[in-house]
Amino acid sequence: MNFYLFIDLVVAGLVTGGIYAVVALGLNLQYGLMRIMNIAHGEFLMLGAYFTYALVKVTGASPLWFIPPMMVALFLLGLLLHRLIFRLLAATSPNAEAMEARSLIVGFGLMFIAQNVAQLIWGGGMSGQPYLDAPVTFGEVTVAANRLLVLVVVAAASLALVLVLKKTLLGKAVRGMLQAPLGAMLVGIDTRTLHPACFGLGLALAGLAGGLLSMVYELTPAMGEPYTISALIVITLGGLGNIPGAIAGAILLGLAETFGMYFTSPSMKILISYGVLVGVLLLRPKGLFAR
Amino acid sequence: MQEKFAKRRTTLKAALAVAWGLTFASGFALADEPTVKVGYTQSRSGPFAAGSQTTQEPNYLLWADHVNASGGLNVQGKKRKIELVGVDDRSDIETMVRTYEKFMTTDKVDLVLPPWGTGANFAVAPVANKHGYPMVAPTALSQKLVDMKLPYYFVTLQQPKPMMAALVDMLAANGVKTVVVTYMDDLFGLENIGALEPLLKEKNIQVLDKKSYPLGVKDLSPMLKGMKAANPDAFIGITYPPDNFLVTGQAKEIGFAPKIFYTAVGTAFPIYRERMGKASEGTMGMGSWNPKMSKAAKTYFDAHVALNKKEPDRWASAHAWAALEILQQTVEKVGLDRKAMRDHIAKTEFDTVLGKMKFNGTEEVGVPGMVGQWQNGEFEIVWPPARATAKAVMPKVWN
Amino acid sequence: MMRNIHFLIAVALLAALPAIESPFIQSMALTCLMFAGLAVSWSMFSGPTRYLSLATSAFFGLGAYCTAWGLGKLPWPAVVMLGGCAAVVFAFAIGLITLRLRGAYFAVITYGLGELVKHSITHVEKTWFGTVGRVMTETPSSATVYWTVLAIAALAVWTYVAFGRSRYGHALRGIGMDEERAATLGVNPMRVKLIGFCLSAWFAGALGAAMAVRWTYIDPHTVFNPFIVFQTVLISMVGGPLTIGGPLIGALAFSLLSEFLRLSLPYLYMIILGVLLIVSVLYLPDGIAGYDWKRLWEKITRRKAPEEKP
Repeated sequence: MNFYLFIDLVVAGLVTGGIYAVVALGLNLQYGLMRIMNIAHGEFLMLGAYFTYALVKVTGASPLWFIPPMMVALFLLGLLLHRLIFRLLAATSPNAEAMEARSLIVGFGLMFIAQNVAQLIWGGGMSGQPYLDAPVTFGEVTVAANRLLVLVVVAAASLALVLVLKKTLLGKAVRGMLQAPLGAMLVGIDTRTLHPACFGLGLALAGLAGGLLSMVYELTPAMGEPYTISALIVITLGGLGNIPGAIAGAILLGLAETFGMYFTSPSMKILISYGVLVGVLLLRPKGLFAR
Repeated sequence: MQEKFAKRRTTLKAALAVAWGLTFASGFALADEPTVKVGYTQSRSGPFAAGSQTTQEPNYLLWADHVNASGGLNVQGKKRKIELVGVDDRSDIETMVRTYEKFMTTDKVDLVLPPWGTGANFAVAPVANKHGYPMVAPTALSQKLVDMKLPYYFVTLQQPKPMMAALVDMLAANGVKTVVVTYMDDLFGLENIGALEPLLKEKNIQVLDKKSYPLGVKDLSPMLKGMKAANPDAFIGITYPPDNFLVTGQAKEIGFAPKIFYTAVGTAFPIYRERMGKASEGTMGMGSWNPKMSKAAKTYFDAHVALNKKEPDRWASAHAWAALEILQQTVEKVGLDRKAMRDHIAKTEFDTVLGKMKFNGTEEVGVPGMVGQWQNGEFEIVWPPARATAKAVMPKVWN
Repeated sequence: MMRNIHFLIAVALLAALPAIESPFIQSMALTCLMFAGLAVSWSMFSGPTRYLSLATSAFFGLGAYCTAWGLGKLPWPAVVMLGGCAAVVFAFAIGLITLRLRGAYFAVITYGLGELVKHSITHVEKTWFGTVGRVMTETPSSATVYWTVLAIAALAVWTYVAFGRSRYGHALRGIGMDEERAATLGVNPMRVKLIGFCLSAWFAGALGAAMAVRWTYIDPHTVFNPFIVFQTVLISMVGGPLTIGGPLIGALAFSLLSEFLRLSLPYLYMIILGVLLIVSVLYLPDGIAGYDWKRLWEKITRRKAPEEKP
């Protein structure tokens, strides 16, 4: 294998891993803080993609303009859903396991609703509007500009989130809750505002991924499902509730898939990704970065 | 905006069709003749929805609209309105089997129309056969299904063998010596590759690389990079949407431009042209008609655009329409006696939007395998010469 | 004793259903029974232990593939048995390694192993047999399929009750409450969990084997469909997995409701179903069967009673 091909594959792997990371981060916040197994997480990615696409279709402007307002809208939707559903769910669940199981069913409900609302509005067929799909070349390395853009944006978003968690007081509060929910409450961290905010943030991050993906792939109402699954794998790989672990897990998975596909065949992709998951969980039952 | 609106329109149209059907059922019928109840399931949700809503259900709605506007379905001289009873099957096979059983036994509908997709047809065809309902299917592609020899079941779409034979003949005629092939890991991919490989051997065309990929693949650039390095004369992708968008887009990204670039199903979808823009120019694929082909084809095309607010695809849509024409002509001749209908379909040559059609057992044999190519925004038929609407343009270039 | 008689009467009535010769009612009942069987078998293990298993699709698919391979070579009951046994072997193998994990880890890895099996089968079929889907032409009659599914579902109900009363059932509940404490009280958690997991797998595998012939043609995507396990979990949780009534009521309610809504409101039914799911989880935390309906009834009647007084 020559050097350029190697770099090519690394970039492709990072793009895949980057998308996994952004979707997984949101899910990880929700799961780590509130034990919400949000199986409908990918549906918010889908909604983000369709919102962006619809606005691009109407205005003809660049999708990049619409991603920030769409994220705000999803954040607000997250606050609303938390207020209507998850607050009550948390209050009536006797323990974390019950919360996980019940939120799973709520997730199915949200999934049915979101997919079918999208289908009523945009139809069950494929839609899509490629943006910036011209290739960019560095020497012999070629990547589509939109994939490169995806990589840059998701890297920035992940980095920003990690920095916020590490450096700010707010972030410290969230990390405190991730490690010891009860302890955090005892030292006066206000979970009543932080929980809905983190849930909304999770949705906004899924929407960000969706908005970016709408430039690259075709949209269908069911497009979100595989991302939910990948995100679940990634956060399990990295350790539930572990933010840097999820990012590392996502990149590991992206690279493993890309190189595996090159050396074997694309058919092996799923065998590889689940192989990695099963292997890691067997060796490290609490994830790669369990303390 | 136009497109989004159009899609919503289809959904609303379908809803109206159902509502309309219900009104009729509850005794609002003004005509003296009873309606002809036509039952079907289509996938409005789930993984089959994209295919079903592009190639099949719009044609059912158009047909009912078209026939009722002309006074109704001609049943041996008497005009009777069509009442469509169409429900969502959620892309779930067991739901389809159950719903068709309901149509045929509890509701005792007059006619049934087939569901979308090969797997769905495999499950529903024996049910229709058992209850003696003739079924003329546009979207089923499998030699194994044809080989089941169900007397009441007919398929209008060309099967893998003729399609691949047309492709290989075209390749040979254009002096192609080497190819690379990719195919999807399912029955469709394997049957086509099974038909393709011996034909290539026969014509001494060498396969430099052959790789398969799974459903839902998101990145094929690693594979395409390897194929580009092999430097073949032609690329053959036995692909489905949305994978053919992915393959086309990524081949363009890496500048993989063999003389001939072929992707199978979905290439003839108008969305392929919209989605790929100029990159669609020169791509070849499975197709069998376009509005330039005949006056009937143009009329059908315009009617489809007028009602569904979107163009029909240049392959299976017309086969769906032809299936409905066959059904309509049969009812006009022999009425709604289903045994008589089956016998009539089995032995008659029909005049359809795609030209003469007749069946040898399950398989339609009047329309040959074809290869199409996007040229200046139209999907031109480039092979066989007898059906061609334009000459093939080579080599493939990315604009 | 009374319960036994009720159970037998119900099974006998259901067994007589093909006599009314309505294929639609029969296939509707078949769907209900399939989901009842799946949900009961899932609840058998996941109810008391609270291990959220997502391996049902894998069991079901393995059973279906046994039918595709064995039909015509083996008699029908043997095919169904074989389907169940294949699932048990698989459950045993994955149980040994996954039953050490808890909570979401267990859920994700059982799902992942299911996908792994699905793609391994695709790969094996493709490279060794040159096919991906399989066509079954010589299929048993639909009444035979119906009776087979009924028998498996009835056996699942009986097993659920008997197993729950056995010392293994008590041990499983002990593990669900506190695994470490159960271990100190002399339970071998691994052994008990494996037995429960394998037992529940047999029914899912046998149901897959019995249902496969309904579709003439199967491929990995139809029989390893993740929606099979999603619906199973959903039915069990909405019904309430801790009593035998829960999964049964859940299966009946879910199948009938979704069919009714699908046929009457073709464009809104999934949305309505979604809302109903969320509402039921919020207000019936222990499932339909786990809710204290008697108290609700008393509350209503008691509230009414004073109103009637002048």
